[in-house]
Amino acid sequence: MTASRALARLVLGATLAATGALAAAVDDLLQQFHAQGGHDFTVAAGEKLWQQDFKDAKSGESRRCALCHTNDLRATGKHAVTGKAIKPMAPSVNPERLADAAKVEKWLERNCKWTLGRSCTPQEKGDVLTMIRSR
Amino acid sequence: MKCFDPSGPPGPEGVFPERLPRVRVWDAPTRLFHWTLAAAFAGEWLTRDARYIDLHEFLGYAIALLVAFRLFWGVAGTRWARFASFRPTVAGAARHLASLARRTPEHHAGHNPAGSWAIHALLVLAALQVATGLVTLGAEERLGPLSGRFSYALGDSAHAVHEALAWAMLGVVALHVAGVIAGSILERQNLVASMLTGLKRASAASAVEAKRGVAFALAAVLGMAALAYFRGDAFDARAQPRAVPLLVQDAEWASQCGDCHMAYHPSLLPARSWAALLARGADHFGEDLSLDDATRVRLAMFAARNAAEAHASPAAWKIATTTPPANAPERITDTPYWKQRHARVAEIGAVHASDCGACHRDADGGSFSPRAIRVARAVPGKGS
Repeated sequence: MTASRALARLVLGATLAATGALAAAVDDLLQQFHAQGGHDFTVAAGEKLWQQDFKDAKSGESRRCALCHTNDLRATGKHAVTGKAIKPMAPSVNPERLADAAKVEKWLERNCKWTLGRSCTPQEKGDVLTMIRSR
Repeated sequence: MKCFDPSGPPGPEGVFPERLPRVRVWDAPTRLFHWTLAAAFAGEWLTRDARYIDLHEFLGYAIALLVAFRLFWGVAGTRWARFASFRPTVAGAARHLASLARRTPEHHAGHNPAGSWAIHALLVLAALQVATGLVTLGAEERLGPLSGRFSYALGDSAHAVHEALAWAMLGVVALHVAGVIAGSILERQNLVASMLTGLKRASAASAVEAKRGVAFALAAVLGMAALAYFRGDAFDARAQPRAVPLLVQDAEWASQCGDCHMAYHPSLLPARSWAALLARGADHFGEDLSLDDATRVRLAMFAARNAAEAHASPAAWKIATTTPPANAPERITDTPYWKQRHARVAEIGAVHASDCGACHRDADGGSFSPRAIRVARAVPGKGS
């Protein structure tokens, strides 16, 4: 009984810590994007950007976030080139998704470059991050 | 029984075989040995592909057991099973072949002097195949009882000898079968059936005991060897802790590379390839890796230390030694070794070429042992 109670306490503690870290990481990033000129981040604006099509200058192919990550952020995605499975974006089903601020920044940079052909503006990053967090 | 006929065939029996009764000349253990060895030899040919390494290795042990038994039975067995009854002599073989050419074959109750050469050659070749097979397995793949005792280079040579001897053995088998067919026709008796039933036309004095108990014991030993070998999962139970080399891993490498594709172990490309690939991070097969300098340097150092040249695994040694020094391939699938090993793998088109794990269960660890190959898992478009 003591063992299972200790385990329960451990799981609870870890969950709280993870949630706390997630909240802290996203809040810090949103604050940062705000300081860089973004304002009034909304889920609707993030959703619009997520679905928007962009034409790749080099290959001429159409690219958008949902191409790899799918329309449903709670579903498992698939890398467009390598075919590797991509864990769900939604923190509600994949709690580690927004926990590491450095990782979030790296992937916003990389994937904006691939999808939009340029870095995203602080406004765009803030909107998408707000949308992802809501799922 | 013995009736002299001056026009009859020469040879120890001295009469036409049709006039002789059918008596048992091959005891049960000799017949069991013959057919299990024949089946094992056929099985070795069928399992020569790396993906069947477990079965191929087991058949090798079975052949070792069979050859050892035959050496013992060649001394302790019944009359016609003993080596003393079929000494391989040049004169004897020449005389026998000449009698076949004249279509009046010498009749022998046991093995004829030409067949004796085939039997001795097959026993010696089988023993050599066991030896070269064990050296290849231990040196080239770091598997089996001789695991890691010899250099990769020696394993490579042993492998070449093993393949050449397999063809030599197949040649001797072909001669042996041709001899049996010719003998059967000319002697007008089915020698293949004789090896199954043990019965052959010969003088009553030539008959031997069946020795079924010894055959049962041999079968039991082979059965127990199979049980011991195939108990549990060969890959998980035996190879993983002992023989598959555990390569150096790095958490940062695993996450930086592994987010988009399998985190290919650095031992799968030469150091010069990794240097070129990481230097061109802004165009990584069309994508910008967006690596900061500190991260890129750490990844480059891990790659340089553990590149193919470190020979951490058999695959690493092969890639390091077969990639021309002037080439720095940035795709593992562009290395000569990868191409050579997958040229005849029909299933390769069904999986994404970057999904090594579809067939190699140890792909994430980077060891790529043949023992970990499970081609059945190949499912089109499945991510790792």
